[in-house]
This record gives sequence, structure tokens and C-alpha cells, in this order.
Amino acid sequence: MSHVVAGNSPAASEKGRPKGSPTPWRPKKQKKNKPAIPGLRSLNGKWGYLFIAPFVIMFLIFGLAPVTYSTYVAFFNWDPLGGQTFIGFDNFTYLLQDDVFWQSIGNTFDIWFWSTFPQMVLSIGLAAVLRNRFLKGKTFWRTVLLVPNITSVLAVAIIFGQLFGRDYGMVNYVLGWFGIPHIDFVEQALPGHIAIAAMITWRWFGYNALIFLASMLAIPDELYESASLDGAGSWKQFRYVTLPGIRNTITFVLIVGTIGGLQVFAEPLTLGGTTTGGDSHQFSTLTLYLYDQAFVAGHWGYGAAIGIMITIIVLIISGINFLLTRQIAGGDSE
Amino acid sequence: MTSVAKQAPRKANRRPKWQKVSFGGYVGLVLMMIVSAFPFYWMFVVASNGSDAVSKIPPPLLPGPRFFTVIANVYKVVDFNVALLNTAIVGLCVAVAQVFFSALAGFAFAKLDFKGRRGLIVFVIGTMMLPSQLGIIPLYMMIANWHWVNTLYALIVPALVTAFGVFWMRQIIDAQIPNEMLEAASIDGAGVLRVYWSIVLPVIAQSGFVLGLFSFLASWNDFLWPNLVLQSPNMYTAQVAVNQLKANYVVDYALNLGGAFLATAPLLLLFVFVGRRLVSGVMDGAVKG
Amino acid sequence: MKLKKIAAGIALAALTFGVGVTAPGAANATTKTITIWTFGDVIEPNLILEYKKIHPDIQLTIKKSDLAAMNGTDMVAACTSHTGPDIVAVEVSYSGKWRSYPRCFTDLKTMRTSAANADATNGTDKNGHAVKVSYVDATGKTVLVGTVPAGQSATTIKPNYLSWRWAQGVGHDGSVIGIPTDVGGLEVLYRTDLMVKAGLITAAQSKNGTGRDILGKSWPTWDKFIAQGQKYMSKLSAADKKKGVGFMDNAGAIFAAMLQQGTTKYYNDNGTDSGTIFGVNPKTKKKEPLYSWNPNIKAAWDTTIKATKAGIGTKTAQFSPDWPVGMNTGKFAAILAPAWMMDYVKQQAPLTSGKWDVADLPGGGGNQGGTQLGITSYSNMKQDAWDFLAWYLAPEQQLQVFRTYGLFPSTKSIYNDASVTGFVDPFFNNAPVGKIYSQGILKLKPIFEGELNPAIDLAFGGGLTRVAAGKMTSAKSWAQVMKDLATATRGAN
Repeated sequence: MSHVVAGNSPAASEKGRPKGSPTPWRPKKQKKNKPAIPGLRSLNGKWGYLFIAPFVIMFLIFGLAPVTYSTYVAFFNWDPLGGQTFIGFDNFTYLLQDDVFWQSIGNTFDIWFWSTFPQMVLSIGLAAVLRNRFLKGKTFWRTVLLVPNITSVLAVAIIFGQLFGRDYGMVNYVLGWFGIPHIDFVEQALPGHIAIAAMITWRWFGYNALIFLASMLAIPDELYESASLDGAGSWKQFRYVTLPGIRNTITFVLIVGTIGGLQVFAEPLTLGGTTTGGDSHQFSTLTLYLYDQAFVAGHWGYGAAIGIMITIIVLIISGINFLLTRQIAGGDSE
Repeated sequence: MTSVAKQAPRKANRRPKWQKVSFGGYVGLVLMMIVSAFPFYWMFVVASNGSDAVSKIPPPLLPGPRFFTVIANVYKVVDFNVALLNTAIVGLCVAVAQVFFSALAGFAFAKLDFKGRRGLIVFVIGTMMLPSQLGIIPLYMMIANWHWVNTLYALIVPALVTAFGVFWMRQIIDAQIPNEMLEAASIDGAGVLRVYWSIVLPVIAQSGFVLGLFSFLASWNDFLWPNLVLQSPNMYTAQVAVNQLKANYVVDYALNLGGAFLATAPLLLLFVFVGRRLVSGVMDGAVKG
Repeated sequence: MKLKKIAAGIALAALTFGVGVTAPGAANATTKTITIWTFGDVIEPNLILEYKKIHPDIQLTIKKSDLAAMNGTDMVAACTSHTGPDIVAVEVSYSGKWRSYPRCFTDLKTMRTSAANADATNGTDKNGHAVKVSYVDATGKTVLVGTVPAGQSATTIKPNYLSWRWAQGVGHDGSVIGIPTDVGGLEVLYRTDLMVKAGLITAAQSKNGTGRDILGKSWPTWDKFIAQGQKYMSKLSAADKKKGVGFMDNAGAIFAAMLQQGTTKYYNDNGTDSGTIFGVNPKTKKKEPLYSWNPNIKAAWDTTIKATKAGIGTKTAQFSPDWPVGMNTGKFAAILAPAWMMDYVKQQAPLTSGKWDVADLPGGGGNQGGTQLGITSYSNMKQDAWDFLAWYLAPEQQLQVFRTYGLFPSTKSIYNDASVTGFVDPFFNNAPVGKIYSQGILKLKPIFEGELNPAIDLAFGGGLTRVAAGKMTSAKSWAQVMKDLATATRGAN
């Protein structure tokens, strides 16, 4: 469903604006009720509602209604084919004492860590190479970066399963060249997390590299020139010009990555083959646990409660992110 | 493009002061290319070598002779032409609708003033964070109630709008269209509709194209929901068709990956044609600074 | 009428070339469509073509999904909204779940077959000539398709089927919600060359086929099986041991195999509702969940742990990516395999042809997998669906499926048929596969499958894997399983 895009595409423009853009769009400096387009005041209100109406109506029906229904379900002992008993907050109190739930939170954050930071280093490094004016075949390289995004998900599941096989998987085959003993990615927690992170990284690193590249291209050449006049080598230029220049982009990729990262589902399912997330739930994630409880164990209400908790966690993190960003942006501005 | 925003980087690149790309840099790029494209290539290798290719040590790395036999077998199980056509129809409808509705709502959220605007946009962003798995059963109940099961409506209508699309468009319009531009037009006597039609739409055409393409890709690769609501082969989309290739309790890898190849190849072709625009579009939408 | 048949013939021809699947439905307004939700090749494509020859007016639309999605969401959604397929395939592990919801299915006791399949001579060939419908099997033999007299209900066809398999398709209120298609069975597939190398049998015994009896007799019990495994391990070279070579693919497989040999598992049939996970623990005299005290479960757990500690398994999970590779490289010599798995081995390890053989399962008979077909309560095509079902699952047709795909028939009435008893497979060293599997299958007794079986299986499987991985002691892991199950079965009757 459309959430595939929403969860994972770090494409929307966020906090920052192009430096050249003249007026702030937010009516901060404007008084309340002052229309964004002067001269059309009388029409603005009506038109605004008219313009958002198709979206809002469709969204209420197909986006919100099913989710609201699920929220309602969270307060019940719910069997879609059988009876429903209202149990108040029981699902939530049980959840707070559920070890697997807490374990899943830990796993989710661990996987988020391993899928975010190495990817960021990789993407920024790639972007730094791609930014070079003397690079040959620019469009080709940039296009290749997006191939993982179009590869059929069903096929990717089969292929990654093979890559991470314990005895004969290609990853272990290559590690073997360096004398590293075979790793069981399904059995051990950390290797499992890293394997899952690798799948996520594979799908999104090129995409994020392009976003970093765009951000780097916007850094004025003058900054580099004065840096090199000051005797800064390429590393120092990178450290003191490039990195500060893409700071906002890093925050942006972090935020979008977090929303997607907290909903990781297909990758752990691919790795373990079952909804338990390994023999000791060692790579069970929040969304996977939701699926396991609702659809395998048949605890629909409980699954819905997990869903609500996921939303709350994402909201808290987004809040923290937002505050941090404000801080960064505030310290940054002019 | 006429975008004001685009001029900034162009100006910035005035004076080159770059070292040539080192050998190591190219090695890195080639490695990246191999990693990115390998799964796609591997589909072809397995499909052309036969199922036991996956259980050979060392695995074969070159295509084998059986590709057309496997593809013929794929067509015996499920008609991929019909599936690809259905997928294209759904993808196109969804892409066009999403761009249209998202641009409309995005414009309103970015530039028009109306009561509750701020609250609504926060709400829109908030809903992006809800896990979608739980909504699937109530959604099916609605679709069944309207007798849309086993029709393409069931895929198209619920996907006509997304919170993500609106959010994206709001950010794009906000970044690419300065208020002065709109003011100038409205002083000239243009109404909101006209402003939208002849100023906003042309400016955001490129980004709209990218949003459309992303919607198209997402719709193309969607599996869980289509597999639930589509019942008969003349309605299958490509991913559902791929799933029909599963054989006897177990997976025939050649058949499966051959099908996956068929499901991905049209996208790759499309990519060759529009890749350049997509790449520049991604960078338009990116944060500058 | 003739024209219509020609049209159908052309449509059929087009279908076989893989073009225009939509044509029959679109071209012929009177076509009746039966939608079937299934997985894998439970519905055999060639037989479907045969059925279309007999009934040009019936369009069978088959849709495959993954088991978890189909049972977890798809069938639930369909039943809640009364919109969906006419026929569904339910795999044995989910039979307990659907047994609890007979209202999603039609009680097949109430259905009567029409005369549609009473006579099989009403088929039509490509040229529109009436022909007796026949079937050319893999060996090139022409087989006539079986017929079904009018007036048959689930009650009248019941005697054809294995009683314990039949029971899995009976709802808690006694309604028949599914008719068994195939039965998994479970026997030991082994590599003759490796067994000879380890000295468990001699080369001559392997050649003349007595090896399979000798091996089968050498492990009447699971303990003896483990002992044979240890013997095998002791003959391995140091290099092989270093490579992690072992006797069987995964010692954890013993658990499920042993459990299926008993008469109770995780549920008690209390006759009135969907079964109960509770029973009176004879030790404490209290009502406690069966999983915590059922001696069958504990015995299966202990034996599996014993096999694990003896190191006879390679810890290669079935259907993991390493598994088919291991079949080729000889990483393991034995697999506990249902009949349908033989086809997979042939497909994944074609170069090992002739090196495999089949021996009896320790402990006497076993089962893994199998499916039943049912008609949904909200179907609009019940009569045509039942006509098809009764025909498709009739003994003659099951025999054809067995020959093509190795799915073992659930109709015990044909186990004495020469085409089952005489069925040998050159890939498996000409072992009498049909005879070995049917003997094992006949030893099984009915066992009550409950709603949460898949979840409970997962918890025990995880517990055994933890011990095998050395993460926990057996006692600690068992305690953890009990904790996990308390969560999983919370609120269950």
C-alpha cells in the first residue's frame, strides 16, 4: 500500500530551504489570518478548503478509518471471526510487562543504529566522489545508485536469504578469504541485526547519497577556495566545509530514516523465515511483533495496542528530533 | 526549469577547483555499482541456469542457456503480459492522481490561508507514522461492501491520495515558489485557480514528475494488498503474478526469479529513459544547506 | 452447441500456450467461475485442464498465496466480509484454527453431487469430437479419469479416506469443513553412498536394496536412531568434522516427528467447542495447560535434546538457503522427509540421482504436512464447487497427483492398488516409495489439532534451537518456552 512510500522515501524536502529562496513561507512574520496571497483574501479560505477537500475526504475513508478502527480494537479482546470483549487498558498493561515487547524495542533501535550510521558514512563518502566535476559518466553513476529501489521485493528476499546463508552463503564465503570463521546470521543476535541493517542499507544508500550530493552541490565554491588558500587539504576541506554544509541534510535523513527504521518488518521476516524473529526473538522488531501477535497468535487487540505504542514512540522521537533540529537550525542561522 | 531555487547551485559552481577523481574513487564507484546491480543480475543468472543454480558451490556467475525455456514456463503458469498491463494501468492512474491531488492540497497547505491549516498539516505528517498492517482487514471489508473485490478499483481508489505525497508537494511548492511570484500574478488580476494552473503547476512539473514516478514504483512493487483483493489471473498485477510461480510447498528458484526478472525488467527500461530526470528530481527535492 | 464446444476447445488450446487466460471468461458469458485460494501445487494444473475438458462451462480460477498471509489475514478478511473464494485449501497446521470457525465453511455433509461427473465420456477434443477423458501420466501411460456418481455427500465418501486425516477437516460442531487432499507421511531419506562410507550398511546391501530394511530395522526407536547417528559421526574424518558434517540435517526435526506419533499434542478434544489447551495434570491433580505437562511433549523434547547433544545434526534448518546445498555436498546423510519433499530433493540436487534411498521412520510412522479443501459458506457456486471437489479428491484423481507431484494420496482405499505399492523411484535407488510411505501413514492415529498450533510449534522450535546453539541449558530454555507460551495462549480456552 501507499505506506511503502511514506515509510521509506527520504525524499521530501524538510526543514531547510534553498539559500536563494527569498521570503520565509511560514506566516511567522505575518499576522494571523493574513492571507498568503494578498488581494485574494476573500477567496483564500474557501479555496483552501476546496483544494484540500479531495485529499481529506479520500484520506479519511481509506487512510484514517481503517486505522481508527484498529485503535478501537486495542481496547478489546478481539476475534474478528468470533466474540469481542471490552477489556479497557488490559492490553496496554500487559504490554508493559511483556519482555518480548521490550526486547523488540531494543532490537528495533539496535537495527536502526546499524542501518543508519554506517549507511550515512557510505552515502556521504559516495556523494563526495560523485560531486567531483571531473568525474566521468556522471548520469550513469547517479542512475545506478537507484537500481536497488526498483528491484522486485520478492526477488530481493530470496537473494538476500542466500547471501547470508551460514554454510554456503556468499557473505561467509567472502569473509572466509580473510580467515573469518562462518557466522550464523540467523542464530546470533548482533550478526542478525547487522544482516538486517545490510539489507536496509543496500536498498537506501544510493538514494541517500543522491540527497547528500544535492546538498553538497549547493555549497558555494568560494568556501572551498578560501579554505584551500588557508592551506587546508582535501580532508580538512571535507571536515570543515563539506560536513557543516550538509548538517541539515544529515538531520533530515536521520528523521526520515527513523520513521522508516521503526517500521522495519520485511527484512527480519526474510532473515528468520518466521514471525518470531529468531529462536529467542533476538531480531524481532516492533512491527514484526505486531504481526506475530495479531495474525499468528490471533491476539488482534494486543496487536493493535502494539501499533499504538509504535505510533507513540515515533511521535516522541520525532518530537526530540524536531527540538534538536530547531536548536541546530537556530544556532546555524545567519 | 524555471525554478528560482535551481539557479542557486548553478551559480555556485562557477569556479572549479577540483582535483581529478582518484583511482580509489573509481574503484569505490565500481564496487557500488556491483553491489547495487548484483541482485538484478543474479535473477537473470538463476533464471537462465535453472533452479539448482542456487545450490551449487561455487555458484555460477554467468548466464546459462535456459532463459527462454524458463520464461516460456513462466508464461505457462501465468500470463505476464496481462499482469504487466494491469500493473501499468494501476500505476499510471495512481501516479497521475497522486500528483494531481497532492499538488492541489500541497498548494493549499503551503500558500493558502485557512482556519485549521496548521493543525491539519501536523495531522497529515502524524498519520505517515502509523503502521499500516492493522488497517488491512477493515479496508477489505469496505472494498467488499462496495463489490470492488477482484477489480482494479480496489488498488487504485485507496491509493489516490497519500499523506506523503501531500507533505512532499507542500515542501516543494514552499521551496520553489516565492510568495512574490504569486503576488505579482494576483495583482495582475489572476484568480486562485488561474494562479494554480498557470504558475504553480509549471514550476513544480519536474518534482511532480518525480513524485509520480515514485508512486508508480511503489504501486508496481506493492504486493500484500493486491494479493488479497485480486482473485483471477486477468486481474493480477506483476507481483501477484510472481507469487503464482511458487510450486509444490517449495520454491522453484528459476521460475520465481525468472518471473521476478519479468516484473522488474520493464521498470529498468523505464529507468533508462527517465533515470536522468528522476536523478535530477530527487536532488530538487533534497534539502539544500 | 457444437460451436460452443469448438470455441471452448480453442480457448483451451490458447490457454495451454499461456496466452489469453482471460479469453474463456470473457468470450463465454455463460461460463461459471469457481475461485480457489490455495498455495503451492495443491491443485494440480494438468487435472484442471482435464476438468475443463469435461466441463467447458466451468472456469476454475486458482490463486496462490503464502500460508501465513492466507490464514492470518486473507481468509479472515474474506469470512468477515462474506466475499472471497469458493474453495480454500487449508494446510494441516492451520486445520485446528479453522476447525474453530465452522461458520466460514459449508458443511459438506449437506452437499450432494450432481450427475455432472457421473459419466466421463462427455469430454471434447480440439476438433470438437466427443472423447473419453483420459490422462497421459509422466511415464506416457494413458489413464482414464475417474467418475463420481450423483448424490454423493461427505458422509458417503468418508470411508475412502484415512480416518485421522479426515478428522482434521471436521469442525468442532461436527460439520465437515474440509476433505483431505494429500497426506505428508514421514520417512527417512538417506544418502546410500555416505551410509556405506560410514559402515552402517555395505556397498552390496546398498546396491541390492536390502540396505533400507537393515537401516530401518536398526532404528526401531528414536534412541536407536541417535545411536546410529553417533556411530556415523564416529566414522567421520577429522576434516569432515571440521567442516561441520553430520548425520542428519537438523536434530530439531525429531521433535515434531515424535509428537505426531502420539495421540495428544497441545490440545484436548473436549467435544463441545474448539478444543482446550487445558487438561488435568496427573501429578498436581490440577487443570494446567497441556504444553506444560503432556508426557508426549516432554519425551519429544528430551529426545531431541539428546540428539542435539550427541551432535548428530548439522543445525541446517529445512528450507534454509544452506539446506539444498547440503543435499548436494553431502553435508548430511539423512533427512526426515514427507513424501512431497522427495520432489524438492530431485529438483535441487539432480546430480545426486540414484544416491538416495528411503528407510522407515523410527517410532513407527509419521506425518508432516498435508492439505484439505473446503467450500466457503459465502460461496455462490456451492453445487459446482462440490461437484469439482468430489471429483478432484476422488481416489483416481489423487493417484494422478501422486504420480506427477509425489503428493501422497489421503484415500487409503487405493493404498493396495498396484500403482501405489509398485511405485518405485530410480532417483531413490528404486526404493518402493509408495509402499514405504503408505505403511507408515497407516500406523498413525488421529491427533487433535488446535487453533494456536502454529504459534505453539514456533515457541517449542525456538526453544530447541536455543539449546542447539548453546545459548541456554535445556531446563532454562524449557522455562523460557513456558513463559512465551503463557503469552501466546493467553485467554485461550
